[in-house]
Amino acid sequence: MLLTLLLLTGLSHLAWAHAILMESTPKLHATVTGPDVPIRLRFNVRVDGSRSRLHLLAPDGSLQALPLARQSTPDVLQSQATGLKPGAYKLKWSVLASDGHMSSGDVSFTVK
Amino acid sequence: MQQLVDLFGFLSVVLRAGTLVFQSLLLGGIVFVLWIARDMPGNPESIEKMQSGSWTLLRCSTIGLIVMQGLYLYVNSAVLMTTAEIGFRAVLGANFFLSGSIVLAAAVAAYLVARQQWKVAHWLLPVLAMTVLGASVMTNHAASRLDGRPLLIILTTIHEAATAFWIGGLPFLVLALFRDKEEEARWHITERFSRVALVSVGAIVFSGMGMSIRYIASWRAVLGTAYGVMVTAKVLMLAALMLLGGINFWLLRSTSKDRVMPRLRRLIEVEVGIGITVILTAASLTSQPPAVDQPNDTVTFHQIMQRMKPTLPRLTYPQVADASISASGREATVSDVPNKLPVAYNADGEPLPPQRIAWAMESESNHHWMGLVVLAMGLLALLARTGKAGWAEYWPLLLVGIAIFIFVQADTECWPVGAKGFWACWANPEAFQHRLAALVCVAFAVFELRVRRRKWENDRMALIFPLMVATGGVVLLTHSHAITNVKENLLVELTHVSMGLLAAFASWARWLELRLPVGDRKIPSWIWPVCFALIGVGLLNYREV
Repeated sequence: MLLTLLLLTGLSHLAWAHAILMESTPKLHATVTGPDVPIRLRFNVRVDGSRSRLHLLAPDGSLQALPLARQSTPDVLQSQATGLKPGAYKLKWSVLASDGHMSSGDVSFTVK
Repeated sequence: MQQLVDLFGFLSVVLRAGTLVFQSLLLGGIVFVLWIARDMPGNPESIEKMQSGSWTLLRCSTIGLIVMQGLYLYVNSAVLMTTAEIGFRAVLGANFFLSGSIVLAAAVAAYLVARQQWKVAHWLLPVLAMTVLGASVMTNHAASRLDGRPLLIILTTIHEAATAFWIGGLPFLVLALFRDKEEEARWHITERFSRVALVSVGAIVFSGMGMSIRYIASWRAVLGTAYGVMVTAKVLMLAALMLLGGINFWLLRSTSKDRVMPRLRRLIEVEVGIGITVILTAASLTSQPPAVDQPNDTVTFHQIMQRMKPTLPRLTYPQVADASISASGREATVSDVPNKLPVAYNADGEPLPPQRIAWAMESESNHHWMGLVVLAMGLLALLARTGKAGWAEYWPLLLVGIAIFIFVQADTECWPVGAKGFWACWANPEAFQHRLAALVCVAFAVFELRVRRRKWENDRMALIFPLMVATGGVVLLTHSHAITNVKENLLVELTHVSMGLLAAFASWARWLELRLPVGDRKIPSWIWPVCFALIGVGLLNYREV
C-alpha cells in the first residue's frame, strides 16, 4: 500500500505511450552532409500523419516546425530540412498512433 | 506544460482502464439480463425483484461507461491539441475520437432502452453491445498493426467479448444471488452462468494464445519485456480465476444446494475482484508496445538473474556531495567523488555515473527498510495465526513505523533531517503527498488494530484492509510503462509486478478469511500472511543497479 502511494507520487515522470521509433534517417547521433537533409521516421505501428508533428531544434536554440510530406506507408513520416548550417541538431517528434496513444521522442544528429 | 501533458497522459490511461471495466460490465450485463436471468423457475415475485436489480445495475454500468468515455475523449483530445498544437476541429477526425464517440453514442442509447418491459431492448441491446465492442477494438493494438491485422482484430474481438461475458457478468451474478433468496432460482442462475463462464474461459485462452504468438513471438520476451511480463501476470491471475471457477463448478455438482450457496457467493466476490484486476492490467497493456517491436530492448535471462540474485539488504544511505555536483552545473564523473561510492553497472554492464549510483542506492535503502517492516508484519501475522502469540495481533502498529520512516526519509531536504522548516515543506506538492501517505498509514494502523482486537470480523469495516491492499496491487500491476531506458525499467517492473500479484492474492485471501463460513477459513487465513512475508522478502532484495 505504502509503496503504491509512493509510486503514485512519481507517476508524472513516466511516459505513457505506444508508438515507438523503429528506425530513422538521419540515424541517432549520425553526422550528415548539409545544407539539405532528408528526414524519414519509421514507427512500429500506423501513425496519423495529419495529427503528428516534427520540429527541429537548431544549434542556436531556435525551434522550427518541419512540414510533413504525404505518408507513403501508414507507419512512416517524411520531411525535408533545408538550409541547415553545420552544428548539432535535435529532431523532435510527436505522433498519434491510430490506436489513440500519443508519444514523443527525439533524434540527435550533426550536420557537417 | 510538459508535466501537465504527462499528468493528462497518465489520466487518459486510467480513464481508458475505467472505460474497459464499464464496457465489460455493459456487455456482460446484457448477456446476463437477456439470457441468464430470463425464464427462471421459482417464486415470480422474488424473480421479478432479482431481474429488476440486474436491469438497474445494467443502467448504472451504461452511466459509468458514458462518464468514463466522455472524460477519456476530453482528456485525450486536450493532450493531442497541446502536443500537436492543433484545434478541436482537427481532433474530430482522429481515430480514437471517432471510435470513442461511437462508444459514447451506443452507451447513451443503451441507457435509454435498457428497460425490462420494453420489447425493443431485447433486440437493440445486443446490437448496441456489438457496436461498443467493434468501436473499442478500433483503438486496440490490433487496429494499429501493419501485419496480420484482420486476424488480430478477430482474436481481440473474441478476447474482449469473452472477458466481458464472464468477468463483466460476475457482478450481476453476485447481485442476483444477494437479491433472490430462493435456493431453486439461485441454483439455476449459477448453473447457467457457469456454462457461459466455461465457454468464455476457452475463448479467452484460445484468443490469448493467438495474440501472444503474434505480439510476444519468443520465449525470451516473455520475461524479457514489459509486455511479456504483463501478459504473464494476466495468465497467473487467469489461473487463479480458473481455480476459483473450478471450485465453484465442483461445489455446484457435488454439494447440496443449502450448503453450496454461502460459499459460492463469497468465492464469486473474489472472482469479481481478481477479474477487475485482470481487466485493469489488460487496459494498461494497451499502452505498452508489443514485445515483438522491441527486439533490441529485450532483457536476457542472465541479466534478470544478475539483478535478482539474493544479496544482503542495505540499511545505510550514501553520502554524496550533491551540492558540489550541482554547483558545477554538470553531471558528476567518477573523479568528483573518489572512494565514496561503489562502482555499479546498468543491465548492459556499462558503468554508471556517481549521481545515478547515489540515487539508486538511496532508493534501494528505502525499499530495504520497507521490506524489513513488511516482512515483520507478515511474520507477526503468521505468528498470530498460530493462536499461540496473542501479542503478535498488534502487528498493524508497524504501519506507524512506516509512517515515521516516510516522514523522515521521503523528503530529506525537510525537517527533521533537512534545512527546510516543518511548515515550509507543506507547500511542496511532493512533500505534501508523502505526508498525506504517512497520515494514511497512521490512521490505517489504528483502524486495523481496532478491527483485530475487537474481532469485528463480520463488520463491513473489516473489509477495508483487503480492499486497500487490493488497490495497492492494482497500482503496482499497472503503474509503470516507460518507453525510455527500457531495460532498466523492466528490471524494476519485474519486482513491482511480482509484488502486485502477491498483494492481489493476499487481499482476496484475507477477504475470503473474513467472508467464508467459519469452517472454511483455514486455507485463506494462512495464504495472506505468507504473501505479505514474500512481499517483504522481495522488497529486501530490490535492486536498481
